[in-house]
Amino acid sequence: MRRLNKDVIGALTVLAVLALAPLAAQSDYVTGILTVSLIFGIWAVSWDFMSGLSGRENFGHALFIGAGAYTAAFVDGKFDLSPWWGLPAGALVAVLFSLIVGFPTLRLRGPYFALAMLAAATIMQRLMRIFWQYTGGEEGIPGLDPLFDEPLSTYYFCLGALALVTAALLALARSSWGTILRAIRGDEAACQAAGINVTFYKIASLVISAACAGTGGALYADYQQAVTPDVFAVALSITIIIMVYVGGMGSIYGPMGGAIVLALLPEVLRGLGEYRLWVYSVILMFILFFSPDGLVAPLWRRLRGAP
Amino acid sequence: MFNILVYGAVTSAIYAMLAVGFTLIFGVARILNLAHGAFYGLGAYAAYVMTGPLHWPLPLAAVAAVLLVAGFGAAMERVLVRPLRQSALAVLMITLAVALIFEQGMFLLFGSEARNVPAFVTDTWTYSGLDISGQRLLTLAVGVLVLCLLYLFIQKTRAGAAILAISQDPEGAQYMGIPANRLYSLVMALSAGIAATAGVLTAPFLTVQPTMDLLPMVKAFAIVIVGGLGSIPGSILAALLLGYSETVVAYTVSPAWTEIVSLIAVLLTLILRPAGLLGKRAAF
Repeated sequence: MRRLNKDVIGALTVLAVLALAPLAAQSDYVTGILTVSLIFGIWAVSWDFMSGLSGRENFGHALFIGAGAYTAAFVDGKFDLSPWWGLPAGALVAVLFSLIVGFPTLRLRGPYFALAMLAAATIMQRLMRIFWQYTGGEEGIPGLDPLFDEPLSTYYFCLGALALVTAALLALARSSWGTILRAIRGDEAACQAAGINVTFYKIASLVISAACAGTGGALYADYQQAVTPDVFAVALSITIIIMVYVGGMGSIYGPMGGAIVLALLPEVLRGLGEYRLWVYSVILMFILFFSPDGLVAPLWRRLRGAP
Repeated sequence: MFNILVYGAVTSAIYAMLAVGFTLIFGVARILNLAHGAFYGLGAYAAYVMTGPLHWPLPLAAVAAVLLVAGFGAAMERVLVRPLRQSALAVLMITLAVALIFEQGMFLLFGSEARNVPAFVTDTWTYSGLDISGQRLLTLAVGVLVLCLLYLFIQKTRAGAAILAISQDPEGAQYMGIPANRLYSLVMALSAGIAATAGVLTAPFLTVQPTMDLLPMVKAFAIVIVGGLGSIPGSILAALLLGYSETVVAYTVSPAWTEIVSLIAVLLTLILRPAGLLGKRAAF
């Protein structure tokens, strides 16, 4: 019980810091950067729920992000509906994509899921450029309506979404659902022998992950008020994976911290914005060789005391 | 009709060169090498640097570029992959890091604009009203030659026999005194060298850009899945299949739809025959 209290205190502290950060900065620019870091948090947490827990690496999370973002852009920019419809529609289309890729690949063992996700995201990015009559090509779809007029309101909405997604996925990860996913990572054949329908759990987890990522993608499109084919980029998928690694894979709250820290890092180290991926890949190498459990989650475990 | 035949063959040869190395290193060392596209790109950039700023003669530059990338592959296996071999995920991530560093490194060194490599053969052949550049024919010829040499190497030499033994039963092979680690380096060098050959040959007629590694790698994935992970004849067969179906789609429907062909092929294979055309059912 005491440990739970410490976790709750930790979560509330982080929430309070995040809530006060834009008020302390008093600048729309900083608020914008913070908003993006929160959206990255949603993506990292949703990646970790499926891939971190079950050990099935997803190298194309951007497929769901892009699906959500472009759906939101179509809903708002082409069909002239309220931007609020973009959020559920984006999640729905992302779920559809996750079923198309997940159903054939997650039945199998081996690296098929990772490869198929990577291929699907890359090819979607190409298709967005090739069918420019509908998607706007390289320029994408600009001029979307924002969800809120005030940058601060957008920020708090994203903060709420991140808190909700993290809390929900953390609760799922600590329930029997999370135990089953971790068991799949440990020994899939043994799980099957124990009568667990592993394929159902893997696909359902991917669907949940895709729904969160798609919503995040729609939020991103609304925040940017535009989409470009870059939302499908492999670089985005990889950035998210590195954030999860820094956070500590499989802990859900770690990747949230990792995402926020890494998204803000290039801004703190001025002038590094252009070399963002360069910095990330060096960090990834360092973590792989020296701290395979990540940084954020182990740090919190030490702060909180006994594991 | 004739142009489909020729261009399909050229595309297939390029795809086959990319896919055999990828499937080889997976079949032998169980390394899923996400840096495979980087080998291809590195070959093209090495050819650009040696022919452009360094003014080396073309044949020398081509051979040097391939050897350089092969050495890079072996070094990468030795320094980065080997210490992490206990964890398949860590290996995957380190190859990914190499791919990222390639892309960013080329971007920092040469910028994002496309670079030119002079063609090896400037003549064009005309046959029944169709002009085919000599460079493409050369690519086809070298591709076939490389695949034949690879086949002979694996079937006829001691090292080839050792590679086959390791891919069939790594532990058993090691008990027989086969030096697994040295062979992993060798296979990585081979795989990198073949990908670099494709990069050097296609550099004159495809674009040399920092992001050039991605799409060929995705194609290699697709071919390897369709052909069966770990099977070299399977990937050659799948390369022909995909190379020709893309060319047919490009000529009969529209070039825009070629990118979808490989994705549909992958999904269909995984639904209908997950082991791939020539893969072993109990591969994993």
